[in-house]
Amino acid sequence: MTKKTSTSLFDFKTMNNATRITLLMGVVAFIFGISGLYTRLFIGEREVGYGSYVVWGLWVAMYLFLAGIATGSYMLATLEYIFNVSIFKGTGKAALWAGLVTMPAALATIGMDLGRMERIIKVYLRPNFSSLLAQMVWGYTLFLLIVVVTLWLAFKHKEGQPTNAFFKLILWIGFFMSIFLSGGVGALLGVNASRPYWTVGLLSVQFPIFAFASGVSLMLIIIGWFMHFKDEEQRYHLFRWLGWVAIALSLSKIYILWAYLSQAWYTQIPDVMTALNEILFGRYWFSFWVIQIAIGTIIPLVLHMIPKLAHNGTWAGLIGLMVLVGFAAARTNIVFPAMTVEMLDGLPTAFFGPHLDINYTPSNLEWSVTSGVIGAAILAFVLGAEILAVFNKPKMEVK
Amino acid sequence: MSNPNEASLPPTGMILDKYASEAFAGLVAPALDGVNISAAPANGPLAKEDTLVRMQKDMKRALEKPVSERRWVMVIDLRKCVGCAACTIACVAENKLPPGVVYRPVVNQEVGTYPNVTMKFLPRPCMQCDVPPCVPVCPVSATYKDENGIVVIDYEQCIGCRACIVACPYGARTFDFGYTYTETTPVAEGLVIGRTGAESYERAASFEYSEEWPRTDLRASPVGNARKCHFCLHRLNEGMLPACVTTCIGRATYFGDANDPDSLVSELIARPNVIRLKEELGTQPRVYYVV
Repeated sequence: MTKKTSTSLFDFKTMNNATRITLLMGVVAFIFGISGLYTRLFIGEREVGYGSYVVWGLWVAMYLFLAGIATGSYMLATLEYIFNVSIFKGTGKAALWAGLVTMPAALATIGMDLGRMERIIKVYLRPNFSSLLAQMVWGYTLFLLIVVVTLWLAFKHKEGQPTNAFFKLILWIGFFMSIFLSGGVGALLGVNASRPYWTVGLLSVQFPIFAFASGVSLMLIIIGWFMHFKDEEQRYHLFRWLGWVAIALSLSKIYILWAYLSQAWYTQIPDVMTALNEILFGRYWFSFWVIQIAIGTIIPLVLHMIPKLAHNGTWAGLIGLMVLVGFAAARTNIVFPAMTVEMLDGLPTAFFGPHLDINYTPSNLEWSVTSGVIGAAILAFVLGAEILAVFNKPKMEVK
Repeated sequence: MSNPNEASLPPTGMILDKYASEAFAGLVAPALDGVNISAAPANGPLAKEDTLVRMQKDMKRALEKPVSERRWVMVIDLRKCVGCAACTIACVAENKLPPGVVYRPVVNQEVGTYPNVTMKFLPRPCMQCDVPPCVPVCPVSATYKDENGIVVIDYEQCIGCRACIVACPYGARTFDFGYTYTETTPVAEGLVIGRTGAESYERAASFEYSEEWPRTDLRASPVGNARKCHFCLHRLNEGMLPACVTTCIGRATYFGDANDPDSLVSELIARPNVIRLKEELGTQPRVYYVV
């Protein structure tokens, strides 16, 4: 019986069930997104739910979310290459690949939000660097380049050998950029004195923490569902380590949320209270209490405490997915409610017309585009990972 | 000081002369054509020229000065505003604003409890802040304070990110999603009414920023851009007052150069009963409200 190495890029037979299901989900999400992407790109923006009063909607929230995953993934990659944490050996490439896929997805969602997306080039040609938005566009573009270079160097890097000086320099630059950029998206909101709900120092501070937590959650999914380890002991230790980090970050998230909401509540500043009431008891209660708190925080916390589940690949991935969904909801709960505050009492009823509404629910177009972008990102991540073999998959041997 | 014409005036004329504002008198007097009264005797000590005439003269003086020495401000007398929204309509017509875009809404609020109930009205143009929060947030410098001190938008530069709309604490910017009023109206061929007749008017160019902005192509700017009140800059350039000022039926909106001590607006903003909206934010608005 002679054995030869498979030459095909993808071999669906060798993929595990989780990979197949994820690919299927990616395909479904992308198909659901096709009509939205077509409408947005070739017809326009009229079918969106946001407008002149609720100015930013689902796409901006998803930009914050996906950019958070990208920067968080990079932070995790540095654990292998800068900080030499032994149990993270072999995970760096997967983390970097995740960052490389989610970053363009983030930029795509924010691009869809532009009224004249063909003019994005103007941000490069005639930037106004006092604008946080311009800083972010430049910053994320540079960061994307850094991720590409890092990944390239990671492939050149031989396991077991020390990281060379140039690679380390790039990694340190990327590491600091990931911290500042993830905080920067918080500042993008926080610098608006017109929106008191955002103008709290804690807002931008929590973003790097949430980004790292997003990276940890994604890594739980990658390790739980996709990655192959020669050493199952390492996998076990990774689950333990990531589990504890996830618990610590979940607790810090609850602490920050408590500090943020309780202070806001105590001050009873009317504009802040309006936003707060919308989150806790109003239009966004389900997103907050059920998705962000229950599914995204409490249930994963409880599951992490059960070693049998926390150390099981399927469950660990599921826990990571729940935390990620919670973070997506958290981003919407930061963006939407602050917009539901009337800038002047009675302004929303002073003049009537399309998109002059203070009540916001994402439209079908917004859901469709979001689904399409995330579907494309999932497909790119899984298929790209197969091609680049970042899941440490041993080459398939067939008869 | 007594009015020398007083003795010859009938009672109605005396009342008008003594108590009514020149605007009210100006509205009523034509209806009393033929009746021997004078609402504002031309030669009497109570005689006043219409505020529009005075503002026009103020403007003429301002336009003779270098641009950098002018300081355009708007003053709105909330005691006189009756909430008719004539200014809103005039603005929509002047700038050919599409559905969903408004530069000068009038906020209506009912205050008090029965039997002490009243309405209050707040016309809200762009505040043309001297420290405008909408300017630094623009990633491409598409919005800026021009040489007149008016916050403007370069439609061809704007990328439609709406960061300026988020930053404005007065909700003074709206986004042009590309609607037209006539798009859902029925076609009535051969008639003036209906889509065909109205569409040509709606798609004709507006003249904001002294340029032509036709609405024939709904993929062209200002569709997909943020839009805002610009104190009718294109009219100012031609020596005309903003449309909302000339159409105010109660003469409640004033406009002029605050750097001219003899202008009407300079007189008005020196009074103690003048406020600006959200002063605590440090935006230094150029719109003042008399309360």
